[in-house]
Amino acid sequence: MRSKKVRKNSWIFCVAAAIALVSGAVLTVPTSMAADPPTVNVKIDNFSFTPATITVKTGTQITWTNADDIPHTVVSDGQEFKSKVLDTNETFTFTASKPGTYSYFCSIHPKMTGKVVVE
Amino acid sequence: MPLQKKQDESLFDHNVDRDGGHDDDGIDRRGFLKCMAWAGTGALCVLEGGVLKSYGLDDPARIAKAARGELSFVQISDSHMGFNKPANSDVVGTLKAAVGKINAMPVPPAFMLHTGDISHLSKAEEFDTVDQILKSAPTKDVFFVPGEHDVLEDDGKQYRERYGKNTKGDGWYSFDQKGVHLIGLVNVMNLKAGGMGSLGAAQLEWLEDDVRHLSKSTPVVVFAHMPLWNIYPEWGWGTDDSAQALSYLKRFGSVTVLNGHIHQTMQKVEGNVTFHTADSTAFPQPHPGAAPSPGPMKVPAEQLRSLLGVTNVNYVRKHHALALIDSTLE
Repeated sequence: MRSKKVRKNSWIFCVAAAIALVSGAVLTVPTSMAADPPTVNVKIDNFSFTPATITVKTGTQITWTNADDIPHTVVSDGQEFKSKVLDTNETFTFTASKPGTYSYFCSIHPKMTGKVVVE
Repeated sequence: MPLQKKQDESLFDHNVDRDGGHDDDGIDRRGFLKCMAWAGTGALCVLEGGVLKSYGLDDPARIAKAARGELSFVQISDSHMGFNKPANSDVVGTLKAAVGKINAMPVPPAFMLHTGDISHLSKAEEFDTVDQILKSAPTKDVFFVPGEHDVLEDDGKQYRERYGKNTKGDGWYSFDQKGVHLIGLVNVMNLKAGGMGSLGAAQLEWLEDDVRHLSKSTPVVVFAHMPLWNIYPEWGWGTDDSAQALSYLKRFGSVTVLNGHIHQTMQKVEGNVTFHTADSTAFPQPHPGAAPSPGPMKVPAEQLRSLLGVTNVNYVRKHHALALIDSTLE
């Protein structure tokens, strides 16, 4: 019971904080820039991309984070996006600006493949 | 490591020359193919006319006899200088230990091969550190091929400037030593999505031409970073167009293929071709399929050096033989 109560309280706090943040944003920046672009995270772990396929709206920021002890890269087959070599905990962000299907892989370990579908 | 112990035993059960002589009855090839993987012990492998015999390293007299050849050289691999994760936070120390092992060999090697992943992140200081450590090796002649970790970012430009002078294409080359023809191949460049290692058309064309003039009795040693046989395609442990390369070597009586990349010793005999992968000097990797991924394997500190090592290769002209000895760093 106790933990449930705590969780409920935290939830209320989060909503309150979010409301405060949003109202703050509305007050300080023009409306067109009020909303941050949507973000999606892809984890690189155990020599694979998770989730392997993501479907996102145009404008979404996709961030890959390498959680392996070995460096990896993120390179789309058509070179629309290409990361530098990502060592452990390094990230790469790509903003999906054009609709389409982008297959990508790790150019060091090409068995590692993934797909980004931009709608 | 009960599984590993079992593999060791089965290897020697199949291969030890029980009567102590050097006759030709040594090996049940099918049995040998079943027990290719071992690590943590050393084995001496003598290739005679395409047939490989294996002896335990606990018999120094027989090793000394088999190792006394006209050409002796050493293979080291996967030093991954710059790696600093828990699997081995001292890759400098283990590379130095490998060089120490080579210095302690009864017959100094004529030269050394490094089968790639010299560095972890292709950084100049990583290459510098390896070069510095190798200065204390018993020979200054070290022949390299690149691993994928050596050609990050710049398509191998820095690698070739350091180690690939006078090589062709991405860094492939060949040379002769005491009647043995050695060929260094590059299979870590221009990798295709979903694929494994790749040699590419230009290199294959060069290889075909390179061996054309050789007599079929010339012992051939091919060395490259990624395995030139499909060990475990699920982890990319193979080379997409290796069959094409091997087709050019079919007519030779003795072909030895030396690779790195998988950080463990494995062997296979196929016709007159013996395939061998070397231990890393930096960190071990799991047996194929034994872990969710081929990432560095963390083992207790006291076990680490039993899973790292060097390979000594001997050629005895009289016996038409190449002998491979794997030694761990312990």
